[in-house]
Amino acid sequence: MELSNQPSFDAPIPGQSLTMELGSRPWQSPAQFTTVDETIDYYMERMSSEDFMLQLADVLEMGTPVTVLANTIQMSSVMEGVHTVDVGMLVLPMLMEMIMMVGDSAGIQYDSGLENKDKPKTRDTLIAKVISDYEKEVSGAGLSDREEKEVKDEVEEEEEPKGLMARRT
Amino acid sequence: MSRQYNPAITAYKRMDLDGFNELDKSTEQEKSSSGGGLLSRSSMPSKNSKELDYSNPAVRVAKQMQVIRKYRDEINGTK
Repeated sequence: MELSNQPSFDAPIPGQSLTMELGSRPWQSPAQFTTVDETIDYYMERMSSEDFMLQLADVLEMGTPVTVLANTIQMSSVMEGVHTVDVGMLVLPMLMEMIMMVGDSAGIQYDSGLENKDKPKTRDTLIAKVISDYEKEVSGAGLSDREEKEVKDEVEEEEEPKGLMARRT
Repeated sequence: MSRQYNPAITAYKRMDLDGFNELDKSTEQEKSSSGGGLLSRSSMPSKNSKELDYSNPAVRVAKQMQVIRKYRDEINGTK
């Protein structure tokens, strides 16, 4: 990752989080829903509204990955104090499935975000090298077999009689 | 957002729904085979049993996912 040399002023000042009174932020107070079931019900109700579904379909059509959407939704709910971070993590797969279902029902070719597009492909040069290595190995094995046969024949021919009464050449 | 900081990918991939379906089927079969008498097994599964523990939040989420997946499959016409 390349770091920018320009200073970024669009960030909180170190220690800014401590300037607010404790408990004044939504995520600092007890969550609205504490169990997975309650949270799932909350999302089901929210996501089944027509407005939400239409917005979701638009965002999916724009090419936003489902993983990013699901994570953003759960993170914003954590910031609003709806549920805790751990409940959000547990609910994430269900959220993704729900978003994909909306995409499927709207007939959108959405990006699930599960496939790693940046994953390096197997290089052609590497494949060519493996093929050439294999060919060398195969041809090398063939030669050695032939050589072995020749050596065996020579040994058989040159084998001297070992008996006591054998005639010496 | 960078891909490596997104927990959704790992969370989704670790949710093995095919394995869950098999476990769910076996749990249901075990439940149906065991009678409902006084001596029937308790609902709490033992540590060694392969039954699903429905008090586990991950199992509850998987159950919800199973329903949604079934609906998705119907929409896509895959199953």
